[in-house]
Amino acid sequence: MQYGVELLDKRIAIPHNVLEHMYDKARKIFHVDLDAFFASVEQVLNPELKGKPVVIGGEPRSRGVVCSASYEARAYRLCAGMPLMKAYRLCPNAIFLNGSFSRYRDASARIMVILADFTPYMEPRGIDEAYLDLTGFEPLYGSAQETALRIKQIIKNKTRLTASIGIGNSKLVAKIASALSKPNGILEVAHGEERSFLAPLPVAKLPCVGPKTEQSLKTMGITTIGELANFPAPLLKNSLGALGEVIHRYAMGIDERRVEPPQPPKSISRETTFIKDTLDYPFLKATLCYLSERVGAELRRNGRSARCVVLKLRYADFYTITRHYTLKEATNADWVIFDTARELLEKALHQRRQQVRLIGVGVSSLINDGRQFSFWDSSIERQGCLDEIIDRIRSRYGFTALQRGQTLLLKEVLPTENGDYVLKAPSLSR
Amino acid sequence: MKLSCSQVDLNKGLAIVGRAVATRTTLPITNNILLTADQSRLKLAATNLEIAITYWLGAKVEEEGAITIPARLLTDFVNSLPNEQINLTLSPRTRTLELKCARFEARINGEEAEEFPPIPSIEEGVATTIDPEALRLAIAQVVFAAATEETRPVLTGVHCQFYGDTLTLAAADGFRLAVHKAPLAQPVAEMTEVIIPARTLNELQRLIGDEEKPVEITINPNGSQVLFRLKDVEMASQLIQGAFPNYTQLIPQSYVTRAEIGLSDFLKATRTASIFAREGSAIVRLQITPGEELAPGKVVLSARAEEVGDNVGEVDAMVEGEEAKIAFNNKFLADVLSVLREDRVILETTNPSSPGLIRPVGTDNYVHVVMPMFVQW
Repeated sequence: MQYGVELLDKRIAIPHNVLEHMYDKARKIFHVDLDAFFASVEQVLNPELKGKPVVIGGEPRSRGVVCSASYEARAYRLCAGMPLMKAYRLCPNAIFLNGSFSRYRDASARIMVILADFTPYMEPRGIDEAYLDLTGFEPLYGSAQETALRIKQIIKNKTRLTASIGIGNSKLVAKIASALSKPNGILEVAHGEERSFLAPLPVAKLPCVGPKTEQSLKTMGITTIGELANFPAPLLKNSLGALGEVIHRYAMGIDERRVEPPQPPKSISRETTFIKDTLDYPFLKATLCYLSERVGAELRRNGRSARCVVLKLRYADFYTITRHYTLKEATNADWVIFDTARELLEKALHQRRQQVRLIGVGVSSLINDGRQFSFWDSSIERQGCLDEIIDRIRSRYGFTALQRGQTLLLKEVLPTENGDYVLKAPSLSR
Repeated sequence: MKLSCSQVDLNKGLAIVGRAVATRTTLPITNNILLTADQSRLKLAATNLEIAITYWLGAKVEEEGAITIPARLLTDFVNSLPNEQINLTLSPRTRTLELKCARFEARINGEEAEEFPPIPSIEEGVATTIDPEALRLAIAQVVFAAATEETRPVLTGVHCQFYGDTLTLAAADGFRLAVHKAPLAQPVAEMTEVIIPARTLNELQRLIGDEEKPVEITINPNGSQVLFRLKDVEMASQLIQGAFPNYTQLIPQSYVTRAEIGLSDFLKATRTASIFAREGSAIVRLQITPGEELAPGKVVLSARAEEVGDNVGEVDAMVEGEEAKIAFNNKFLADVLSVLREDRVILETTNPSSPGLIRPVGTDNYVHVVMPMFVQW
């Protein structure tokens, strides 16, 4: 996360054990979730969009899915994850936007800084959500309701965005509460009432319960969380395995997961879906090079190096592969990442030569440091200096200010914005 | 060819020359050992075209002659024989060598001796001698620093400078440099510099064993080959051609922090840290703190493996200069510390990204320079 570093600096060192005694009794966990985040950011930045159905994701007739839809659009039963074509059929009047990830990231960073001011125990979840552990903060901020109101007000004042906040004694309850309070609401589940709060809700609201699990629960006659809670645990475990135990505990309102402040990333990756499936090798290679450079830059920004390079390919038929290669020495050099990924790509295409829908490159096995200085072999060091300088130039003038020959052909294919390429489906995660 | 010798001698000889037998080769005959019977000795020779080893053993020769025999077959067979007299008889017409020992016998088909690549014999050139123990120490303290990767061939060798009565060995793989000065038993007439493959010196060290006689070293006039002559063994080797980097400029001439540390403590702490370092990124962090009025100075060695664990160890040190932090590859540090013989060593550092210098206390014949690793403290 962009704001990870600032947060770490802001964090006060309160040992966990200070809160330990009250910890399991009545935790006050807040789940702050911004309402229709991407769409709302667009509406704030462009007041003309206010009050209109806005859909972020891309051109209505293009491939891809809805990333975010404003509440005005949701009135037409549009929702995130829906194919754009379908969204267009449901609401042809909606304003379809490509969206700009950098704008959302900036807005997110500002909000996370606001939240981090309330407690050191702040765990961002993705770009538009965060958990806060405010157990024992009542003397400082007043009741949970008051605190939530204050958080919402500050976010509103500083960013003109609205958030919904759920409060409960666990992450689970807080998250479900915030979803139910949407939009622009606050919902507190009083201590002791977790189970009765959850009971009438459909099982699909629980984390870890996807369409498949929901289906198998249905065959056992379980549709609500209450029914799940009353179901004998051993039977659940028999049919669902370890997952059965977990969701049974969740159904009873038991969730001991703690709010974990952000940890340094375990891996970094960038991927993109093509506008059209392709097998054009120079183009694949150019995209791979571009993505490798993005990954490399992110690695260096975090001051880390990676031992493992990962290539991800999704073919036109949605068959997806990932290929790993472990390097002898950790690297943060663009060209090493690219070279390794390119070799993996060549091998993969050799094994399965089909149109490619998505390509991605990532690095894992991250280490903080460990570059060996050498007497003469300066090729690695020189390359390192070059990467650093390129990073600096690009941070000021954009990616396209300075380009490798390899990626030049992207110029004819991809649109640019502020000197950066706009990828069709940028990776929103790490 | 007809002779007899003892199984023990032949077995020993085959093991020695076997080190030079080619393993992967495009010249099949180099998989063989050349046997030559002349006067009262049996000569065994093998070569992989980079090095050649020749060994002489006493034998009762009835009939002179020569043949080459597949090394693996001969060695394994002789090794399995009882400790008794072996009779070797060659049938020149069929090129079959017959071996008889106690109640065992074998016939092995060989190839013409004339087909065997010539074994270099260097008679003239720069010649000198050196005490075997001095040579062995010199090799041990230097050879491990030579590069194993072939990207810069000269770095896979050890630079040897013969000057007056001193032999200076130096090896560097880009990350570390080891320089050892050894006394020659016999001064050389002119200054000579050659690059000997590290592999050759590793083999030489093995050959020296408990040799007591000075080792003779001869470099041929055009500087392409070197010959080491021991009591019963000769090893000839190709030399690496090319310019060795000027390493003297790599040796730091000043320091900011200097720590004198007990070698065994230092080595032990390094090995302990290595247990964790090797799980992670091979980094051992050294924190050198000068002593205060009553407290002695110390060096703190720490290592951590992300998501696995970490450790910290401390050794006493006499520290001069400022407090310092520097990180090294655990292997590089352990490598140098384990070849030193002295009780105490000196570590000199300038800053976290400049080379560290390690040398033993009480002798000035050895310096080791090692590049640090980049870490965030």
